Amino acid sequence: MDLDLSEDEADLRDNVRTVLAGICPPALVRGIHEGTADTGDLWGRMVELGWPALAVAERHGGLGLGVVEQVLVAEELGRVVAPGPLLATTTQFAPAVRELGDDAVAARFLARVAAGELTGTLALAEDGRWEAGAVATTARPDGEDWVLDGTKCAVLDGASAEEIVVIARGSEGLGAFVVAGTEIEAAPRLGLDPTLPLADLRLDEVRVRTDRVLVAPGSKGVDEALARAIEEATVAVAASTVGTCRMIFETTLEYLKVREQYGRPIGSFQALKHRMVDAYLLVERATALVYYAALAIAEDTADRAVAAAAAKAAAGDCQRLLAQEGLQLHGGIGFTWENDLHFYLKRAKAGDALFGGAVVQRSVMARELGIVTIGGGRA
Amino acid sequence: MRLTFGDEVEAFRQEFRAWLAENAPTAEEMAAEPALGSAHLPGWARSWTRRMFDDGWLVPGWPPERGGRNAGSVETLVYLEELARAGIPRTTNPQGLGIIVPSLFDYGDEAQTRDFAMPILRGEVSACLGMSEPGAGSDLASLSTRAVDHGDHFVVNGQKVWTSGARFADFCFLFCRTDVDLPKHKGISVLLVDVDTPGITVRPLAEIVHPERADLSEVFFDDVVVSRERLVGELNNGWAMANGSLAHERSMVWLRGVLELEEAIGRLVAEAPDQLARMDPVAAAVVADRIVDSYVDGLAARALGYRGFAKYVRGGSAPEQALMKALCSESHRRACLVGSELVADQGADMAPADHLRGQGCSWIDEYFGTFGATISAGSSEIQRNIIAEKVLGLPRG
Repeated sequence: MDLDLSEDEADLRDNVRTVLAGICPPALVRGIHEGTADTGDLWGRMVELGWPALAVAERHGGLGLGVVEQVLVAEELGRVVAPGPLLATTTQFAPAVRELGDDAVAARFLARVAAGELTGTLALAEDGRWEAGAVATTARPDGEDWVLDGTKCAVLDGASAEEIVVIARGSEGLGAFVVAGTEIEAAPRLGLDPTLPLADLRLDEVRVRTDRVLVAPGSKGVDEALARAIEEATVAVAASTVGTCRMIFETTLEYLKVREQYGRPIGSFQALKHRMVDAYLLVERATALVYYAALAIAEDTADRAVAAAAAKAAAGDCQRLLAQEGLQLHGGIGFTWENDLHFYLKRAKAGDALFGGAVVQRSVMARELGIVTIGGGRA
Repeated sequence: MRLTFGDEVEAFRQEFRAWLAENAPTAEEMAAEPALGSAHLPGWARSWTRRMFDDGWLVPGWPPERGGRNAGSVETLVYLEELARAGIPRTTNPQGLGIIVPSLFDYGDEAQTRDFAMPILRGEVSACLGMSEPGAGSDLASLSTRAVDHGDHFVVNGQKVWTSGARFADFCFLFCRTDVDLPKHKGISVLLVDVDTPGITVRPLAEIVHPERADLSEVFFDDVVVSRERLVGELNNGWAMANGSLAHERSMVWLRGVLELEEAIGRLVAEAPDQLARMDPVAAAVVADRIVDSYVDGLAARALGYRGFAKYVRGGSAPEQALMKALCSESHRRACLVGSELVADQGADMAPADHLRGQGCSWIDEYFGTFGATISAGSSEIQRNIIAEKVLGLPRG
């Protein structure tokens, strides 16, 4: 098993990092937090650079790279707390369309993703639960059409995405539909982190025509395809969180080397050294598991579900420690609005809930590993 | 990044697997004459080491005359994986094979290589490592066992402690102070001392859970005469060897940590369903969370270890490797604790629970055993100091 980046992978990562330093500086993030900037220019630049097309198949007009590259990009987005539709569009909407959709419907939407003509997201969770088994939004056939009814929660970019993949339940099982954002009533959440804006969605008798049905309820293989899409989205969020945590780690480490008290850098105190090593361990642990999960998905291994859940669980453990130690070790300066640290702390926290935090992930693993059999089906 | 090695490496794996099937010691042989300590060479271990040496499987990365086949790092990794999969110990003298022999090749003269390193490789003798002292544990450079230079010989006085395998070893790779006036790192030398030399007393230290096990010993030196030919390398150059020793020790030690951890967690996961099924469902859910947490530890140790290894093979820096000792040993300790708490009324039993027959060891027994790894060879606390300073670049206190 080779979990080091290949030359091409490292080049991609370096390239994305360099570009993001220019187009997504802390000043932009501050502008988003303070309501004085929007994501329009950033998204425009990303589209010019072809980033939405990275992981779209070549036959759909994309660059044909895979989930590993997608994860590397997500990590970099987290590193600079990048706002905007790239994350939800490329790691939630596109995988859902690709995995769930029949070829004709998928081709149409994926080509638009690749061209940067569309922003999208995935509406899965309901009532605070991310397991597919908990989906209660209904899909009712009506002639050729389907009619959706229900409530979705915590949808990333839910109030702004142009197209939303909605997972809903028919009498025969789960199905997936693409609904225009304008047809759904969205209630934006007052979130900690405006760079990951969430919204709750109300679908009130939303009519979906056949050319927007990714997969009809109860079709063969829906559950497996949905699981694959969710795994991709989950690992991408984990990667973003890990990127943010690594930035908190690096910033804090630098601070400990320059901040002096009692006539010496506070990083020379053993009590703080040991805490930084524990933080470092959790960052490296989560990074390695995110890469492992990306590979497991890319190579479609038997343990991909466990690997994806482990990566997100590790990212959750990582953010819990890093957000806390990052703030604590910065002392008073980290507690102020004028210092940039809080952008990272908030992003690390906000990303954790998406597709389930560490506890949800460990419950997924407990079922997958056969440790417990109580309760309902898998996520 | 990719999940599998290339075809050539897999062919190497098959070749070794086939060789193992023909040549490995049998479970019966090993059970009939168990190794009693880390320098004990039962008959099967002597002939097993010899077979590996003769066929170039003892240290695959070395040339044939040293018991290898000039294999690369990835092949060596695969070799260790296969030994672990087969449940066969590579050696019953890990300090001798893993630390002392490479140090002798690096620093020893021709006679020392011939008379001490080669016999270890052929399974004829075993060796122990005389490092820690009552006053010099983590702070090894403070060691005070004294070797006074009398020209053609040294006279050694002092005491070592925590010496693994001392009561079975033929000789000791002994770190001692040869100059008291130089700064502490600069007055240390290494001598090769026969353990049966007059003046040496080995006092085994019984262990807390199994007093009958005494792999660690105190070793007392009372006017022990050691010929000058037994000085390894230059006088007062011992500190370089101490650092070199640990580098040898760490080069692939991470893999053993990962494999031991995975084996323990595999048992934990395997026994969980039965135990949890008997529990109150809420208690079962709480315990399941801890078990899965341990499972993540195991997966993480593997992913992190292999990631660091891949960087090392490419010639890059691999800071991950510095984390592996603390990660694996502490994760193993935590997993044992979860296991011991899994069966409420049997948590402190020394005999394994009924369903664990064949394992031969209860979780609480194994738990105390894991402290061997969190304390020895640079305790977890020292590991953190080293990582903080050497990897993270935090200033010395």
